[in-house]
Amino acid sequence: MLKFLVQRLLAALVTIWVATILVTILIHLVPGDPVRIMYSGFQTTDAQIEEIRTRLGLDQPIYIQYFMYLGRVLHGDLGDSIVGAQPVLDTLLQRFPATLLLTVTSLSIAVVVGGSLGFFAAYRRGTVWDFGAMTLAIAGVSMPHFWLGLILLFLFSMYLGWIPVGGGGWLSLILPTMTLGLANAAVLARLTRSAMIDIFDQDFVRTAHAKGLPKALVLYRHALRSGLVPIVAMLGLQFAYLMGGAIVIENVFAWNGVGRLAIQAVFARDYPLIQGFILFFATVVALASVVIDLLYAWLDPRIRYGQ
Amino acid sequence: MTTETIDTAAQPVPSSQALVALFRSPSGAVGLAIVGILVLCAIFAPYLAPHDPLRMASGPRLDSPSLAHWMGTDQLGRDVLSRVIYGSRLTLMIGTIAVGISLTAGLLLGLVAGYASGWAERILMRIVDVLFSFTEIVIALACIAILGVGLVNAMIAIGIASIPFYARVTHSIVLVEKNKPYFESAVAAGAGHLRLIFIHLLPNVIPTLIVIGTLGVSTAVLAAAGLSFLGLGAQPPQPEWGFMLSSSRDLIARAPWMMVFPGLAIAITVLGFNLLGDGVREVLDPRQRAR
Repeated sequence: MLKFLVQRLLAALVTIWVATILVTILIHLVPGDPVRIMYSGFQTTDAQIEEIRTRLGLDQPIYIQYFMYLGRVLHGDLGDSIVGAQPVLDTLLQRFPATLLLTVTSLSIAVVVGGSLGFFAAYRRGTVWDFGAMTLAIAGVSMPHFWLGLILLFLFSMYLGWIPVGGGGWLSLILPTMTLGLANAAVLARLTRSAMIDIFDQDFVRTAHAKGLPKALVLYRHALRSGLVPIVAMLGLQFAYLMGGAIVIENVFAWNGVGRLAIQAVFARDYPLIQGFILFFATVVALASVVIDLLYAWLDPRIRYGQ
Repeated sequence: MTTETIDTAAQPVPSSQALVALFRSPSGAVGLAIVGILVLCAIFAPYLAPHDPLRMASGPRLDSPSLAHWMGTDQLGRDVLSRVIYGSRLTLMIGTIAVGISLTAGLLLGLVAGYASGWAERILMRIVDVLFSFTEIVIALACIAILGVGLVNAMIAIGIASIPFYARVTHSIVLVEKNKPYFESAVAAGAGHLRLIFIHLLPNVIPTLIVIGTLGVSTAVLAAAGLSFLGLGAQPPQPEWGFMLSSSRDLIARAPWMMVFPGLAIAITVLGFNLLGDGVREVLDPRQRAR
């Protein structure tokens, strides 16, 4: 188990390390002069531009720049945002709780709704119920998240008037999480269904039935527990997708998380903030996947005992 | 080695037979029909669209759906139906070009990594794995931050963002193919690197990648619509569906039709490619059909 944990942590560190390299290269791929592009909205003299270039270390050879950047990152310094004139890390940390709340709530909705739909479809395989559930799921997979968001906004805020637009408080959490949760529930429903069908066909489930155990007991104690393993294995990827989806959904609902910040940064060509966001995103996703791997190991004894 | 040991499972189904099977599978038939209609819309857009998609004041502003304007008009009095029809051209172009970029680059990367083995493979696939974990939208955002805003740049960005996915798939197929007798005998016969990669491996990788590429069009269409919705892709006055949705946002209460129809067009298109992909997979993998 310890070996497994160390392995996963090392893999996460490699991911974050590669991210620092890519982020350093990013600014050099910009066609033209990145400093002039960044400050195109400001009144600057040539001398000021050169001063900024020196301050950002962009006049140094690229490998020196990389080590300078890595050194600063290790000290928790991601540079200053150009538009916000604030340390990048502070800005990101300030906005992150909102994004985390959105993604974790959405993931829970996705797991509950998608998981039960998929389980139900697998249990009633080949019936009208299965067909109905899977039609719903493929429709959900095909729908753009932000369109679902706009529909919910129209339906619940404007047509029915149940939820005020951007009212703040927990009410304002409902629509964004429903949008992101339901959109990902469709993906999970399809995954759960195929995982559960594999399980239902296995000998131990048939044996449990043959022993005369009550149906509910077989379903929950035997089938569901084994079915959870492949589903949990998918959650790491799902979390990453949700974080990515949040970027768009935050912009639909004016939700002040890191995703909205990232889009503003791209528009403003605020490279320190863009670099910081990518590194931050990679770190969060890598750490989340370590947590999910641990959960996975806890569920599946074969991994726990290092086989 | 006797001929019996040569694996025949990877032999492609004859194309005419595959097409018949595709029509027999319900999802394949529906998918094929949707994609077919979409292609016809794109080709015959000038004949199908009742108005010029860019002409302002084709009718009154924000006019609700009527006989003259089946899908209503937008805030500039442009005919929404005509814009949706012309939008199919942009959508198909984005889908095919983006998938083309990621398929070609991913294929080459996966082939080289899988063929090379050793440290080169490990480093290449490690980078691919890391990029994969960044998710496509973040890579696409990074590319747009580099290239700047615009529809062509968005297409390139989405193409680049999906490279890790295709590289992974190709790599895993190559690993299987490398252990097959035909490949081992080609190595034993002294075939060169290029011959091994392009004459022996490539033809065996392509069928699977075609299936994945079909499904990939739907991902690319969704991603492009998302970027345009955020204002990073298509720019006014392009009749791009995602962009049309973003301009409908502030007018949802007054003109919900501006939001309904472009969204429906995206969903149906993506559904079409998803179903087509599912259908093609069923035809190629009979194990799935039994389910």
